[in-house]
Amino acid sequence: MLPATAASLAVLAVLLAWPVPAMLARARWARRDPLVALVCWQAIGLAGGLSMIGALLVHGLAPWGRALLPAGWSLLSGRRAVDPVRGDHWVALTLAGVLAVELVGVLLLSWVRTTRTRRRHRALLELVVQPSAALPDTRLLEHPAPVAFCIPGARPLLVLSSGIVAELDDDQLAAVVAHERAHLKEHHHLLLLPFVAWEAALPVLPAAARAHAAVRELVEMRADDVALRSLTGATPRRTLARAIVAAAGGAGGTSVPDGALAVTGGATGARVVRLLEPPRPLSGAARGTALLSAGLLLLLPTALLLLPAV
Amino acid sequence: MASLGELERAVMERLWAATAPVAAATLREELADRGVALTTVHTVLTRLEQKGFVVHDDERPRRFTARASREEHAAELMHEVLGQSADRQAVLARFVGGVDPAEARLLRELLAGADDAR
Repeated sequence: MLPATAASLAVLAVLLAWPVPAMLARARWARRDPLVALVCWQAIGLAGGLSMIGALLVHGLAPWGRALLPAGWSLLSGRRAVDPVRGDHWVALTLAGVLAVELVGVLLLSWVRTTRTRRRHRALLELVVQPSAALPDTRLLEHPAPVAFCIPGARPLLVLSSGIVAELDDDQLAAVVAHERAHLKEHHHLLLLPFVAWEAALPVLPAAARAHAAVRELVEMRADDVALRSLTGATPRRTLARAIVAAAGGAGGTSVPDGALAVTGGATGARVVRLLEPPRPLSGAARGTALLSAGLLLLLPTALLLLPAV
Repeated sequence: MASLGELERAVMERLWAATAPVAAATLREELADRGVALTTVHTVLTRLEQKGFVVHDDERPRRFTARASREEHAAELMHEVLGQSADRQAVLARFVGGVDPAEARLLRELLAGADDAR
């Protein structure tokens, strides 16, 4: 008989692996407050991993005791189990170990890989970009395609192509720069990292890919929101929307694989619609409820793990 | 005193402009206005070699060439930047990701519609 704690953790893990992410990915309110939605996504990711590994650990360690930490210590220090140990206990423990190593390992691997690629990009860039005279901390890259991007990290690099500078007016350029600065200031690359890793670790889980896409979209919307606050012109929303459309128009990825287009294109459209027809901001009560749910979501598996099992 | 990054750029400019392998001593003369020592030029060249941007042939170890032309360098860079994979977006945050022509047209119509409504 599975202890109730292990069973509840398993149910939670299943809910967080599929229905809950699917629901949040579809939720219309997420676009009204990307920041709150991002917090919820982080909570889902963390609580999901915790309950998945926790369910297996609680079940596997049951013969050594009811409380997880002392039971784990007993096993590690080689003490005899109180109850008889069956095969399914060993299977659960092995799975827990494999899953924990995989999740953490993939996270570290993604970190190392993206850091290395960033360093390479920065080295390539540093040879050909010129500091911009008009915009502080911004580099110019001689290239006709209208692109703007930033490389996050300890020494961030914000780059505008000559194509985008030619295409946009000063207000629009300021909007682009403000958007990219928001990514850097709020360390959005760190919010994305667990979802990149999660997708790599669990490619069979459709929710992982969907979660990653949703978080990417929310990060862009959040950067738009932050950018709007610092823009001065009469119609900052329209200015930013124009900049997005101009940057999308010429970038025309001829070498871009078809599979990725529907996702990115759709997300870009959603950004523009959101700027032109701003949705009502989330009420204080709704924000509070969402943040509280995120907190409880984290608290639940933690409590189940730390309290003695029933 | 110029920073190493600036010197790297200046050295690459010279190597890209040159038609034949360039000696470190020549580079130092060309950079005379910056007051750099020959050892500094060698340091910069070594760094550029480590990054894979500069090569020297074994017969004339003191002469250097750029591994790729400036155009090839820019093309490689843009290929990386415009790449569409999900990890690419994690590596660098692009203002607007790749959009296909149909989607781009839709976006322009969206914007035009909003302008008319005003």
